Amino acid sequence: MPALLELHAVSKRFGGLDANRDVSMVVEEHQIVGLIGPNGAGKTTLFNCVSGFFPPTSGTIRFAGREIAGWAPERVLRAGLARTFQVVRTFPEMTVLDNVMIGAFARTNRANEARARATDLLAFTGLAGRARVRGADLTIADKKRLELTRALATQPRLLMLDEVMAGLNPAERAQAVALIRAIRDRGTTVLLVEHVMEVLMPISDHVVVLDSGRKIAEGPPQTVVRDPNVIAAYLGEKYRPRDEGSA
Amino acid sequence: MTGFARSRPGGWLPVAATLSALVVFPLVVDDGSWLNTAVLVLLYAGLAQAWNILGGFAGQISLGNAAFFGIGAYTSTVLLDRWNVSPWLGMPIGAVIAAGFAVAVFFPFFRLGGHYFAIATIALAEILLILFTNWAFVRGARGMTIPFVRGPDRRPTDSWAFLQFNESRVPYYYVVLGLAVLAVAIAIAVERSKLGYYLRAIKNDQQAARSLGVPVLRYKLIAVAISAAVSAVFGTFYAQYLLFIDPETTMRLELSVLIALVAILGGVGTVVGPLLGALVLIPLSEVTRSQLAGSGNTLDLVLYGGLIMLIAVFQPNGLVAVGDRVRRRRRAVRPAGDGAERGDAPLVGAPGAGD
Repeated sequence: MPALLELHAVSKRFGGLDANRDVSMVVEEHQIVGLIGPNGAGKTTLFNCVSGFFPPTSGTIRFAGREIAGWAPERVLRAGLARTFQVVRTFPEMTVLDNVMIGAFARTNRANEARARATDLLAFTGLAGRARVRGADLTIADKKRLELTRALATQPRLLMLDEVMAGLNPAERAQAVALIRAIRDRGTTVLLVEHVMEVLMPISDHVVVLDSGRKIAEGPPQTVVRDPNVIAAYLGEKYRPRDEGSA
Repeated sequence: MTGFARSRPGGWLPVAATLSALVVFPLVVDDGSWLNTAVLVLLYAGLAQAWNILGGFAGQISLGNAAFFGIGAYTSTVLLDRWNVSPWLGMPIGAVIAAGFAVAVFFPFFRLGGHYFAIATIALAEILLILFTNWAFVRGARGMTIPFVRGPDRRPTDSWAFLQFNESRVPYYYVVLGLAVLAVAIAIAVERSKLGYYLRAIKNDQQAARSLGVPVLRYKLIAVAISAAVSAVFGTFYAQYLLFIDPETTMRLELSVLIALVAILGGVGTVVGPLLGALVLIPLSEVTRSQLAGSGNTLDLVLYGGLIMLIAVFQPNGLVAVGDRVRRRRRAVRPAGDGAERGDAPLVGAPGAGD
């Protein structure tokens, strides 16, 4: 069976800057896949290419057997691929419930149905008690949780989370990890972007590492953390283990 | 935006009371000038309601809605004048033409962001005004007179079939009341439907809306089509009410601005807002004009402008926000439960989560 998401040689150029260069990766169904890399590695750019916010300069993106590169975001969403934003984008003047209803409307035209689905999901993600609060009035942790709930309401096959754990305290982070596991257990594949490695390692089945727009390593988390290229990318060249040789 | 602004099924009593008061009004107040003011209040309430669907819900500020109003007025009047078509038929035809025109013109407009969009809408109405002023087919700047419906004795008479009332102006009041109720019903239907939710999402954050599958452009076009159609219906009414139209009375910039102003001062993005705005602003402008304009100075405009500034400064979210503020203060008495004492189950383990 082909993978749920397959990127082949995806490049994105902004003027003279190669934000992504020949990135290839696959996301298998029912996995939690981590996409990591230091700041400026091109993670969010790759995210934006996949979710339709800008077309890749070259390369192919296949999702559920269809070529989706260059599709508009709303079309990508309807195909079953939802995302959240690194900088939270909750609808500030709408209530938490209304925020989630917008997501639910992707699969229904009826307000009652959307409301029922949104209410269920808010219970699942632990935001039920805040349903009537305005988006603007939430804490950052709850805003992130709301974005995740909202994306989940669109009933995605693949959920892409852009740094959902950045800025959370350890307790909130543990909750988020539990929630992401629960989402996967319900049958949704998850692609996580983080730049903090330790967050991803315990929950990812597979990790892809980007640096300066290129893929420098991938594999199970335990292997990736020991990869000399990865260590060099995160800590600098002088920390590259000597016996591994240089690139 | 909170519960007060939102129309709720629980709020039927005040709605019924308001409606009965409006129905009884002309029977109690037997005064031509007050009746005229009431007609104008309902007219602007409807126009502001139409504006609100695009400007309030979707946050796309148009300062050219008089263009749609004018198209409505001219469509029915030309049809009546040339081919003796009843305004009741001209009304929906005008609405359809206005909606089609709006979709065609706003398609490129929606590429413009923020202020540039508003400027484009001003230009639109101004171009239309100049066009009609120089268009011989619609008699240019001289305007068009709606021909009298005459009885057997050749004197002007009333006709429901041709929406013209010469003996008493009261029927006009009931017609515009009916149209205003229709406009409110449309606004409520929009607000509660998927369309209304999507429009508010677009107003809040277009990128986030797109990421959740909202086809932003398509929904903006739907909003402007509805807004234009409703505005055009009132244009037809206005033509029949004045029995004379020219480009200035139906399309001038002041009209566009007043429509937006009524909605904004009343409270953007709510159904109650435009109604409140019209109820306060229109009588105010009528009173200041009738009481002060005769002196030849512009004191009436100074006073009118000053009051608008007062509302803008002290009630920037519009008159509906007065109610909201009271509610919020009442709610604030309760401590804002933060974090731990929220009472909802944390994350997982919720029923149906695992399986």
